[in-house]
Amino acid sequence: MRRALLVAALAASLSGAASAQLRFPIIQRQQPPPQLVGIDALRADFIARVGSDTVYFAGDSAVLTGPARTTLAAQAQWLRQHPEVVVQVEGHGSTADTRDHALAVGARRASEVRDYLILMGVPALQLSATSWGKERPGAGRAVTVLVR
Amino acid sequence: MKPAAGVLIAAALLAAPASAQQPMPVVAVPPLTTPDDQRTSAGTTLNIAWQASELIASDLRSTGEMLAVPPAQKDYYSYPEVTAPTFSRWRSAGAKALLTGFVQARPDGRLAVGCYVYDVENGRELGRTGFVADADDWRRAAHKCSGLVYQALTGAPGIFDTRIAYVAKSGSGGAQISRIAVMDGDGRNHSYATAGDTMVLTPRLSPRGDRLAYVSYAGGRPNVRIVDLESGNQRPLVLGQAMSFAPRFSPDGNQVAFSMTTAGNTDIYVVGAGGGMPRRLTSSPGVDTGPSFSPDGTKILFESDRSGSQQLYVMNADGSAQRRISFAAGWYAAPEWSPDGEKIAFTWRGAGLRIGVMDADGSNQRMLTTGPLDEGPNWAASSRELIFQRTVGGRSGIYRIALSGGAARKVTVPQDGSDPDWSGTRE
Repeated sequence: MRRALLVAALAASLSGAASAQLRFPIIQRQQPPPQLVGIDALRADFIARVGSDTVYFAGDSAVLTGPARTTLAAQAQWLRQHPEVVVQVEGHGSTADTRDHALAVGARRASEVRDYLILMGVPALQLSATSWGKERPGAGRAVTVLVR
Repeated sequence: MKPAAGVLIAAALLAAPASAQQPMPVVAVPPLTTPDDQRTSAGTTLNIAWQASELIASDLRSTGEMLAVPPAQKDYYSYPEVTAPTFSRWRSAGAKALLTGFVQARPDGRLAVGCYVYDVENGRELGRTGFVADADDWRRAAHKCSGLVYQALTGAPGIFDTRIAYVAKSGSGGAQISRIAVMDGDGRNHSYATAGDTMVLTPRLSPRGDRLAYVSYAGGRPNVRIVDLESGNQRPLVLGQAMSFAPRFSPDGNQVAFSMTTAGNTDIYVVGAGGGMPRRLTSSPGVDTGPSFSPDGTKILFESDRSGSQQLYVMNADGSAQRRISFAAGWYAAPEWSPDGEKIAFTWRGAGLRIGVMDADGSNQRMLTTGPLDEGPNWAASSRELIFQRTVGGRSGIYRIALSGGAARKVTVPQDGSDPDWSGTRE
């Protein structure tokens, strides 16, 4: 995007139609030195750019809602740009559910999220899925957790 | 018409779980005797005999099904009187049954323990039993005597020489530590089978109580593991990355039925307890879980939400002839077949979670508890009592309740506890 603007500005200046103030020197963009980014910084960046690491489900449902798909599309875009990051999708059941069924519902939710991220172009190898059933706080949702 | 019937059934379900209580039989437990007071590694035989009598009285009381006249010095019988007791004083005390017995040191250092149960009314012997045990194992022999009385009065196997496994919890929220704990049916010999470094769920003892299947989160995903309680050796039940949970041994201990999730779909599988290729038994797009074998091993009971809500189903052990057996209002989960094959216990999910029972064909269902957070019922060897998990104020505890009625009673364990599993009577 930025490069396209630069090129447009350059073209405009070369055409002579622009004022003197718009004459830019051509800048050689220097690649910043490769930076080692910790998992915490990656997680913060993921949240900041994607908006949320969490999608919510209705009742015992594992059906992705409209807002969930929007969130996951944004997650997928970020993950495609960070192919080195491995994530685990963690599904949660309901605390009102029984233990084994909650595990299965959490697993189905995590699987639905993983499948949708793959559909959005994230390589399957980058993704794994698990279920916490009703054993951890987080009922009724699936969370995309950056592992490394 | 149909909705009205549904409401009626719901109303019946919500009715108080009361049932007419019969007067509890009284059992006289005078002190066991010894033919010759001798020293053993666990104390003198007279001392052991006294402690064994107290333990038997305590065992019988713990059932909530009978009253025990505890041992008193004045009731002491001599060794010859054990097989020829006087009954008149027990008749006047209102006792229905009398237990006599002895503890004898053998030349090899072990103990011989003998017990006799009599019908006080007509002086008839109802049964007798004898054991040879290491002196330090006298409690197990006493539990066998308790079982003899229990069987004589109820016709059901004793629940005293048993093991209980459960999940012991400390801390809270994300910092919670959970460990698989195993103890004797009376709370003694408490030990941990896992270290607490990873979350664990749903321990299930093998029929002989020598192995245990449970769910471990080692590796970040739920997976069934098998631990040998004697050696402590552990291994995954199946290989691979798929999530697996809800394990249960077959009655012969040779197989384990469990749930496995592939591509988000949870089905029931069975595999040899020693390993091998799992065989898939269900293939519905819904959640199939909570498998429980019938006592003869020919059928498997399970829960499925294939109809849109969790209901109970029965199939042959090879997966054929699957049919639904629960039809009333609400959702049904976590079924377990009673050891005598007559009944099914389940968790009912409606307004909260409650414990209920029904006949093996799905009829005559009734609620035993009022919830709101009771789940995971598990049968006692007697098929007359259940152990289950109750959560009160965010803390889970282990409770037992008799089918004959009465309130649930808390089982004393060192920490918060969940997912109890009660073994059959040990050989």
